[in-house]
Amino acid sequence: MADYERRPHGPRGGRKRRYREDDDYDRRQRRRYEEPLIVKVRRQLLTIAESAARRAEDDAVSIAKSVADNYGDEEFRNSFVDIALDLVLEQPLKIPFIAAAVLIANFQKPELVSDVLNRSSECLQKYVDVGAWREVKLLLRFLGCLQCIFEGDGIFPVLEELFARAVDLQTASSEDLLGLELVKIILFTIPYVMASPAAGFESQATALLEKTDIIASTPHALVDLVNPFGPEDGKPTATQSVISLVQNQLQGESGQGWALVCLPRPWKGALEALNAQRTEEMQETQEAQEEGMDAAESTEAAEPKTYENGPKHPFPQITVPSPVKNGTRAIFPEVYLSVYANQDIETVPSTSDIASSLLRDALVDTINILDFNRIATAKFLIDVDCYFTPHTFVKRATPFDRLRDLPGDTQWKPEDVAVDAVFSQLFQLPSPEHKLVYYHSVLTECCKIAPAAIAPSLGRAIRFLYRSLETMDLDLSHRFLDWFAHHLSNFGFTWKWSEWIEDLELPLVHPRMAFITGALDKEIRLSFAQRIRGTLPDPYQDLITEGKEKDTPDFKYSSDTTPYANEGREIMQLVRKKAGDEEIQPVINAIEEQASSLGVEDPLLPSTDAFVTAICFVGSKSLSHVLSCIERNKERLLAIGPQSPRARRQIITSVMEYWVDQPGVGINIIDKLLNYTILTPLSVIEWALVDKLDAGNVLAKSHIFEMISATVGKVTNRLRQIVAARTQQGLYEPQLSVLDETLNREKVDMQALFKVIEDSIVSVAGGSNDELMERGDGSGNLPEDEIIRQWGQRWLRVFRRKAGVEESFIADAMATATPVGTVAPPASEENVVSEDAPVDGEMDIAEADASVDIS
Amino acid sequence: MSTLRHNTVDRLDRPSAYYQGKNKRRKYSQDDTEKAEEPVDHLKNATTLYVGNLSFYTTEEQIHELFAKCGEIKRLVMGLDRYNKTPCGFCFVEYYTHQDALDCLKYIGGTKLDERIIRTDLDPGFEEGRQYGRGKSGGQVRDEYREEYDPGRGGYGRAYADDQRRREEEEYGKGR
Repeated sequence: MADYERRPHGPRGGRKRRYREDDDYDRRQRRRYEEPLIVKVRRQLLTIAESAARRAEDDAVSIAKSVADNYGDEEFRNSFVDIALDLVLEQPLKIPFIAAAVLIANFQKPELVSDVLNRSSECLQKYVDVGAWREVKLLLRFLGCLQCIFEGDGIFPVLEELFARAVDLQTASSEDLLGLELVKIILFTIPYVMASPAAGFESQATALLEKTDIIASTPHALVDLVNPFGPEDGKPTATQSVISLVQNQLQGESGQGWALVCLPRPWKGALEALNAQRTEEMQETQEAQEEGMDAAESTEAAEPKTYENGPKHPFPQITVPSPVKNGTRAIFPEVYLSVYANQDIETVPSTSDIASSLLRDALVDTINILDFNRIATAKFLIDVDCYFTPHTFVKRATPFDRLRDLPGDTQWKPEDVAVDAVFSQLFQLPSPEHKLVYYHSVLTECCKIAPAAIAPSLGRAIRFLYRSLETMDLDLSHRFLDWFAHHLSNFGFTWKWSEWIEDLELPLVHPRMAFITGALDKEIRLSFAQRIRGTLPDPYQDLITEGKEKDTPDFKYSSDTTPYANEGREIMQLVRKKAGDEEIQPVINAIEEQASSLGVEDPLLPSTDAFVTAICFVGSKSLSHVLSCIERNKERLLAIGPQSPRARRQIITSVMEYWVDQPGVGINIIDKLLNYTILTPLSVIEWALVDKLDAGNVLAKSHIFEMISATVGKVTNRLRQIVAARTQQGLYEPQLSVLDETLNREKVDMQALFKVIEDSIVSVAGGSNDELMERGDGSGNLPEDEIIRQWGQRWLRVFRRKAGVEESFIADAMATATPVGTVAPPASEENVVSEDAPVDGEMDIAEADASVDIS
Repeated sequence: MSTLRHNTVDRLDRPSAYYQGKNKRRKYSQDDTEKAEEPVDHLKNATTLYVGNLSFYTTEEQIHELFAKCGEIKRLVMGLDRYNKTPCGFCFVEYYTHQDALDCLKYIGGTKLDERIIRTDLDPGFEEGRQYGRGKSGGQVRDEYREEYDPGRGGYGRAYADDQRRREEEEYGKGR
């Protein structure tokens, strides 16, 4: 699988040889003439429901029969149990189908079902103990589908117990999120129980729902924090969390006899197939009898099997610890996002329909679990219609315009539902489970597998997001921009730019213009300016300036009109020939003396400018070049900051001005200068949000947001590393105090950083920024003024959230940390301290690679 | 992260067949077959990736832009023609963490950079000298004998092109 598209086909290329080697690998297996039954059954189980061409119900019956017949074969038996549970945990879309196979097997070999239940119970207990709640949810879903084979109340007591824990947690703290997660598990289990063949549990389900209502429907304080759309006009929008949505939907279902239309019922078809098979067998037996042969079992087989009358098992014994704990995944409230909301045709289920939650939940788990094979993920997404009730969706790749003319009630497009689920993760706040690029790659693969079906869906999603730019959370609009450019880079940079031409009239600070310019810049970074220019209609051509096409930006000191031109050129020559400090210093002195005589307040600024600009110019060939230049002149650069904070910020100015047309290169260099500690995070923040605030205009520049986010991310990552070191097990004094001190010190620094961001933006957001007020007629009522105030509000929201998330991360982690003052138990002399704890190490810096320096 | 011992679908973050193939050759040449697993262990904490099928014109900045999506890049070493010292279509990307390198295999390997499908492979780590092409004429071996025209990688394979030229010259001579 990992070998996909590895090389272009070549008659004599590397490909052919590799083919032969690959063959060697499994030649022994290929010699087999006939596939053993166990291999066939394994494959049948692994691929159950994957193909619309095969009936999953028949496969379920056939698998059950094969395994039951071969129950005595330990390998056969175990591989069924193993694969069934692996699938439950890794491919949640298949849970109802696995359950169907187990339900059928229950008629033939109840012992096999006991084995499955024992293994499920082991797994479930393990995941409950460590707090892996997604796995718990999936195992309970599986058991919920099997409800009809359990004695008594089956799954309900364990759901009740989870609810009791949720109540404890909620009572203990109003800010509790873990309790909400438990309620979510209960809510997402109920529909599968109610869709299962078990009958007569309506009152229990309704009673449980009445209890969860109070927790699920109470708005949580953090819901607004994760709302993809910011408050409009200062008023917070009423956002419903996912669990309160599901709660309502389930209450609706309970009033309508638990129709749960979209959930597949493969057990029905499987049972019919089983009974049909048995009738057939019986007839054969009767015919045999008529022919005078002996058949004793015929009376037993006459009754058709029903799920109610099948063998029963006790529900696995699960102990839910009190209090429960949370595993490694941080929990935040979730909000339902659809990029296909408000279309005139409903191509995805509306939030009033429980299908919206059930489809989303199963798809999102699939996406997040299978991050190790994006191609498999994409395949499942494309095949979504195989895993739900037939005719839940319209036919694949039905064009949007054609939906209106279709007979039937449903107009849900499988592609839209699938793509929507990926976007819900890409736009998950505060952050999704995996790196953003994973979700990019899933969309790319979907497009590769089914371009005709997926591309138009993506187009509509892009248009929705583009139209929402003004209200979308700033973090998300940045994610949108980054995805958009990256996605286009995988598909020849083709996009219908012509449809946004009108927006080119908008002011530069308008969110749409900011998006267009930001996206083009990102595209250029992944490609080059000339290439991107070629993909754009005429009206866009002016956005690709001549400067962007220059590989080496001009050296401003080449022009004699630039102050200190001679000295600048001289320094450049010295940097180029790798001159020593003693040769550079006199020229620096010359600039500073000249500046002093001209009355420049801080002569260090012009000398720093000349020096840094020279480094940028000499190193302009590539990142390696500039890094080796920086490396050679590190001491001098390091000495600038401590002399004058303004000169330190001059370094940033010089870099960003030299690379003004290619800001991506500039922020990359800034990033490395931070690693070298030539710059401090605070200096970067102050440079952008104080020195260059430009009455708030700077907030509309996407590369500035990128630069500030990256800088803040560096600080918070480091803090998280320190927290990890501080909270590791088996740590004792004196290390505890040392780490605790480091943690507290850096935490104060982080808070100071967030304070600077807050203070400088709050004035823009509130419209009280001096410069902002002095513009135009001074009224602050220009249309652009309002836009800039909104930029300020959107920035504030992002960084307040970031600050909050980090504070709560530290607080949560420290809640269970060994207290300061804990001494090692006297018995053991040696203290165990993990050696890889990144405690006091400076952030590692990229070494400039001399080997690439080929000039 | 999946906690299962066996996955129900293949993982994309495994060493490639190329790496395993190299390992196998070694295995066959030695009597001791038990060492088969050992090279995989070299990659246990690998933070470096070999990146292949780049265009000769793809810049460090472009590579950086894409690969930084999987984590901060510690070092980027461009593959160079042994004689000309110009990029010859591969590079090494080193991350700070093993996880970032694995994520890169999963999310970036097999996607496009500069409009070419690139190949990523876990690498035990860069060593001086490995940045140079090992082909006869200085580039990568695969660019010596390639019969199809690849404008991003110097046209036809070099040995192939030389061969072709010689043949054409001979034909031309015959015509006279």
